[in-house]
Amino acid sequence: MTAVTERQKLAYVNAQAADGRVNLEFETEEGMTLNMGPQHPATHGTLRIVAKLDGEQVIACEPIMGYMHRGYEKLTEVRTYPQVTTLVNRIDWLGSFANEVPFILAAEKLMGVEAPPRAQWIRTILFEMSRLANITLFLGDMALQLGALTPAFYAFRDREFLLNQIEAATGGRFHPNFDRIGGLKDDLPKGWIADTKVAMERIRSFCDLTDDLVTGNEIFQARTRGVGVIPADVAQSYGLSGANLRGSGVDWDLRRDQPVGLAWDNVAWKVWTHPDGDSFSRFWVRLQEVRESTKIVEQLCDGIPTGSIMAKVPRIIKVPEGEAWVATENPLGEMGYYVVSKGDLGPFRVKIRSASFNNISIVPWVTRGVYVPDVITILASLYFILGDIDR
Amino acid sequence: MQDTPADVTAEGVGPTDELRQGLIEAFRAELGDQVVGSHVVPGDSLWVRVSPEAWREAGFIARDKLACGFFDFLSAIDWLPSPFGKSEDAPMGESLEPTGARGEIVTGYAGGESRFQMLARVQSLSRRYGILLKTDLSEDDLIVDSWLPVYAGANWHEREVHEMYGIGFRGHPNLIALYLPTGFEGHPLRKDFPLLARMVKPWPGIVDVEPMPDEADDGGSGESDGESDAASEEGSG
Amino acid sequence: MGLVESGKMPKPLTALLNLSRRYSIWIFQWGLACCAIEMGAALGSPRYDVMRLGVIPLPASPRQADLVCISGTVTDKMVPAIRRLYDQMPDPKYVISMGSCANCGGPYWDSYSVTKGVDQIIPVDVYVPGCPPRPEALLEGIVLLQERIQHEDIGARWRGDSIVVS
Repeated sequence: MTAVTERQKLAYVNAQAADGRVNLEFETEEGMTLNMGPQHPATHGTLRIVAKLDGEQVIACEPIMGYMHRGYEKLTEVRTYPQVTTLVNRIDWLGSFANEVPFILAAEKLMGVEAPPRAQWIRTILFEMSRLANITLFLGDMALQLGALTPAFYAFRDREFLLNQIEAATGGRFHPNFDRIGGLKDDLPKGWIADTKVAMERIRSFCDLTDDLVTGNEIFQARTRGVGVIPADVAQSYGLSGANLRGSGVDWDLRRDQPVGLAWDNVAWKVWTHPDGDSFSRFWVRLQEVRESTKIVEQLCDGIPTGSIMAKVPRIIKVPEGEAWVATENPLGEMGYYVVSKGDLGPFRVKIRSASFNNISIVPWVTRGVYVPDVITILASLYFILGDIDR
Repeated sequence: MQDTPADVTAEGVGPTDELRQGLIEAFRAELGDQVVGSHVVPGDSLWVRVSPEAWREAGFIARDKLACGFFDFLSAIDWLPSPFGKSEDAPMGESLEPTGARGEIVTGYAGGESRFQMLARVQSLSRRYGILLKTDLSEDDLIVDSWLPVYAGANWHEREVHEMYGIGFRGHPNLIALYLPTGFEGHPLRKDFPLLARMVKPWPGIVDVEPMPDEADDGGSGESDGESDAASEEGSG
Repeated sequence: MGLVESGKMPKPLTALLNLSRRYSIWIFQWGLACCAIEMGAALGSPRYDVMRLGVIPLPASPRQADLVCISGTVTDKMVPAIRRLYDQMPDPKYVISMGSCANCGGPYWDSYSVTKGVDQIIPVDVYVPGCPPRPEALLEGIVLLQERIQHEDIGARWRGDSIVVS
């Protein structure tokens, strides 16, 4: 059998192309480079993915960030504590109240001030509600990324009830800017608790709807089962947190394991894990967490202690010297603030440990050898907010 | 629960608790006198400062001997007080030029002798404690061993620190910019990097400041915090 | 027909054309940050439905869009992409700058990596203030833009003159 000559190869290629059957495989050194973003419907914001492909398979995939880098850590150095609270809302812009809490707790730790119990309970309720606002959008959006349009509309619709409640209490649909060092800005309005329970019912019905539409759906299962498996030890060495960690089977939830003074110990709730570590397990864990959060909020609503909502703090806050670290279980994962104070009106240095930064740092590792649509699935299931990655 | 930052090297100095003292001992057993400082907030946090040569070794000890498999973050602190002052409180008409005076460098918990310090945190999920590790960096030679062999997640964190502070990492394969556009000059998180918008124009909120009616009982300057974009204000109890 | 170029459009025809243009806007959402969620709520949620104004979201590409709504913080790294996207849109095109970050830099006015307002890069027709603006505010911005379109001089726009709002 003689070797195939160049001319014969070329003739074959031309014949294939002429047929209209595009089935050519160019074996180049590095493969084709595909650029997704920074503006792309499938990325949650301005994330740019550069993937080197060999056919349909990814050889190497690199996220390029910085399109939403606003310089938070530098800005906090020239602002006072209340101003930083305003700014920090906008890091994870879907579950915004949850961003303020660890920062305020770190400042309170340095001052030696503890908020009164009523404030801690209401903080917990709003914290869980911001978790609901965030994750319901995820549930609708993950299906959207995989091609299902309907769940996104339901998510936006049922989220409105939640945002109504947050707005009634704090004045802002998101970016409430409600937390203060020593407590909260205002008390809850009348009738809020009853309306919140109705909103929780709506969210639970949305979860059931998602279960019906999405979870058992053949296409969804085929696209997410076994895709993007992350073993537990790799997850830990990358610092994955939140549902990404629990979806790999690690039983770690900061609300239970690293208490910071909020009211989760006063209610009965459960941490959900899933052993598989693939995209479906991460989705499933978040769905169960939403249901669990609604139950937490209802239990908390029943038992809010009476009292003041603000501890006695001076009007102009000067936090004494020191360093403090507080991390909480935010909707996206573990968010922590390392606050260095020199006794000024504003912090000296704030290191913001955001959950999505670590969550997305695993993308080059987990997308080796997957197909291009799976990259979208993996990104959707890891769930990030650009403001959280880029800060 | 406030402790003044102390350069704690000797036993029994400063508050401590059993668990964390045991961790300090474990570090000392492996590294000897390369553990140059520590600080404990009892029941809460532990800071351990090591010498720069032992930075990677400290990471290995934390991961292997102390069961800290969870990588939290890796960052740096620049302890120089900003030469531009706190421009957000300057009243109108005052010059916002840098004072030029190089302030004194005062470091924080677990001490420190240099302007730049590395800061990292690792967590043990099984034993439920976390350790904050620090190390000094000499200013003429801002380079330290990379933590990539210890924790895979350190990759992006080191890239960010390199970009924001200009600190080098030995052994990092891909130390390119993470956040900033190509062609950006300077290292933003250093204290002597100015925020140019503030140099050009004072903070707009200052224009609207009025003294609060009962400012007298707080003593001192009649300044209030002005107004931020979302009109935040603090109340007292 | 050459009516538009020569400027000899009869008034009723202009009014009719403007009417049809204002009620058939195809909006390209350039959702960058938090305002993108409010824009999503305005465009996609049944409560603040934008389709009742005749504005339909989600064109397939910027080359088919009439209106771009820039919502969220504009960073220096993002600027080339925004400029390229704006250039890809065919005339007549309109820009709504939504949120204080896109208007003027917003809460990040002093940051080293934020562009102080998207109007430094592309010309803006309507500014919607807020942080984030409520979906109703965005709808009002769109209504204002529609009124502006109604009173627009097509000839001036064709020639590329600066638009004077009557």
